[in-house]
Amino acid sequence: MSENDLMSPYAARALEYGLALCYLILFVPFWRFVQGETPVHAFGFGWFQVPNGVHLHAGHAWARPEGGTVGVGLDDFAHKLVGPLDQLLLPPIGAPVRQGQKAFSLVAGGQQLDVLSPIDGHVVAVNEAARAHPEGALRDPYGAGWVMKVEPRWLTGNLKNLFAGEGARRFLDAAAGKLAQRLTPQLGVVLQDGGTPVHGIARALDPDHWDELARRFLGGK
Amino acid sequence: MSEQALKPAILGGPWMTENVFLGMSFREYAKSLLTPGNAVAAAILLAGIPTIVFRFWKGLGATTNLSQTNPWGIWVAFDVICGVALAAGGYTVACAVTIFGQKAYRPVLRPAILTGFLGYALVLLGLFVDLGQPWRLPYQFFLTPGTTAVMYEVGWCVFLYLMVLALEFAPAALEWLGLVKVRRLLGSLTIGIIVLGVTLSTLHQSSLGAFFLMTPGKLHPLWYSPFLPIFFFVSSISAGIGMVIVESALSHRAFRDRLDPAAPVDLDKITLGLAKGGAVVLFAYFFIRLQGLVASGRFDLLATGWGAWYLLEILGFILLPSLLFAFAARRQSARLARLAGLVTVLGVVLNRFNVSLIAFNWNAQDRYVPSMGEVVTSLTIVTIGVLIFRWIVNRMPVVHEHPDWRGAH
Repeated sequence: MSENDLMSPYAARALEYGLALCYLILFVPFWRFVQGETPVHAFGFGWFQVPNGVHLHAGHAWARPEGGTVGVGLDDFAHKLVGPLDQLLLPPIGAPVRQGQKAFSLVAGGQQLDVLSPIDGHVVAVNEAARAHPEGALRDPYGAGWVMKVEPRWLTGNLKNLFAGEGARRFLDAAAGKLAQRLTPQLGVVLQDGGTPVHGIARALDPDHWDELARRFLGGK
Repeated sequence: MSEQALKPAILGGPWMTENVFLGMSFREYAKSLLTPGNAVAAAILLAGIPTIVFRFWKGLGATTNLSQTNPWGIWVAFDVICGVALAAGGYTVACAVTIFGQKAYRPVLRPAILTGFLGYALVLLGLFVDLGQPWRLPYQFFLTPGTTAVMYEVGWCVFLYLMVLALEFAPAALEWLGLVKVRRLLGSLTIGIIVLGVTLSTLHQSSLGAFFLMTPGKLHPLWYSPFLPIFFFVSSISAGIGMVIVESALSHRAFRDRLDPAAPVDLDKITLGLAKGGAVVLFAYFFIRLQGLVASGRFDLLATGWGAWYLLEILGFILLPSLLFAFAARRQSARLARLAGLVTVLGVVLNRFNVSLIAFNWNAQDRYVPSMGEVVTSLTIVTIGVLIFRWIVNRMPVVHEHPDWRGAH
C-alpha cells in the first residue's frame, strides 16, 4: 500500500470503532486481573470486621447491592454490642423502608431495640432462618446473618450517605474508640489487651442501663 | 504544633552547623564530601561547565552539530521534552493526594514535587543553553507575544508552572528554616496551588506534542498523528507514575538515614498502588497509540525497519510495562512494579526521542548526531539536578515529615 492508497473511510472507521470496542471489552478482565480477586472473607480492622462491598449506615445496619435488590443486615459491631438475640422482629414483605428510619427490631435480654434502615425502598424478602434462629446471625453477620432484601428506590443517592471501604473501617474504629472510653476492668481480657470483644459488650459494661447504650449506637449517635 | 518547638532561623552559628553542615564542623563536612560518587560528579562538572561557558561565548555552531535542517538536538529532545515528561510525577501525585484525597501516597508527595521542581528548573537551564541570550527570554511573554504559537503557550505554562512548583515545594524549605507564619499561610493555599499546577501541566504536557503537529512532512508517519497532544499528555501520566516509583525506591535506599523511624513508610504498598494506576494508564495509552496507527492507515510501514522500531516502542515499552505492572499488582510484587516503572520511564524517553529526534527528519540527507559538547552539557545539567536533589533531601523534610508539621498541608 502506498502513501496515497489509503484505506476507504468506511474500513478505517470500522477499524477505529472496532479498536475502541476491543479496548472496552478487554479493559474489564484487565481491571479485574489488576485488582485481584475480591477477598470473600471479611478483613479484620482491630476489633470489628467489615467485608468489601458492604456499606455501613451510622446506625450500624449494613447494605450490600446484590443485582436488583439490596441485602440489609446488622454489622459486626452491633451484633457484638447487643450480644445473643432472643428474637428478630421483621417487617412484612412489601413494607416500605426509609433511610434513617426504623426498619426492623431486635429483642435481647428482654429489651426491644430498633434498627434504622440504611436505604429507601420496600422489603422483598426476609431471612426466615435468621428469624427462627436469631442467635446464629452473630456467627456470620454479613453472610448467613442477613436480615432482609430491599428493592431500592434511590440507591445511588442512599449509598452516598453510607460508609464503605476505608470509610467503613474508620467508622467502626471510631465506634470502637467510643466504647473503649467506657470499658471497665470487670470485662477481663478484651480489647486493649488484644483479646476479642465479648459478645454482648453493652450488657457487660452496664448491666442496668445497657439498652440505653445500645440504643444510642443503633440510633446513629 | 507549638510555636516554641519551631526554632526561628538563625543564619549562622549552631543553626548553620546543624542544618547546613549536617551537625559537622566545616572541616568535617568538607572531608565527608570526598566520596567516589562526588569525584565522578566533579569530573562531569569540570568538563561540562566550561563547555556551557564556551557555548555562550562561541555560539551553537562551535559546540553543537545543529544545523538549519536539524535545529533541535538533544538539549531540546532530552533536557526539555524528556525533562518535562519525567517531571510529571509532581502533578500526578499532587493531584492524587490533594484533589482525589489518596492520602496513602503522601509519603511520596514531597520527593515527587521536588523532582518536578528541579526537573522544570533544569528544563529552563537546558532552554537557556539551547536558546542563548537568556536576557531576551521575557521577549516572548511581553514584547513580541506570538499568541497563536504553541511555543507561546508552552513558554507561559512552563514559566508559571515553575513558580507553582516552587510554591508547592516551599513548605519544606520554610519548615527547615523555621518560618512558621509564612509556612502556615502557604499551607492554607495548598489546594489552590495544586489545582493551578495540575491545570498548567495538562496544558503544556499536551502542547509539547502539539509542537510536532506542524511537521507532518518531517516526522515519520508512524509517529506523526493528529493525536500527538493526547499521546504526550497520557504518556506524561505514565511517566510521572514510573518516575515516582523509581525515584522513591532510589531515595528510600540512598536516604535511609533521613527516614523517620517513628513513622515508618510502607513503600511497597505505595508502589503497588501506583502500579495499578500505571497498568491502567499504559493499557489505555497502548490503545490510543493503536488508534493513531489506524487513523494514519499506514500499516504498510510496519513491515519496514522503521516499523520494527515503532513496534518495539509500543509493544516493548508500552504494552509490556502495562502487563508487568498488572502482574506486579496481582502478585503483590513491589520488585516487579519497580522494574515496570523503570521500563515505563525508558519507554517515555524513547518515545520523546523518537518524535523529536530519531524519527524526525527521517528522510533527510543530513541526519543529526549530537556532538560530544552537547552530550557533556546534558550530562552536566542532570548532574546538577542530582546534586541539588541530594543537598535538599539531606537537609529539608522531604522523605520524612517535620515532627512539628505532621499531617499538615
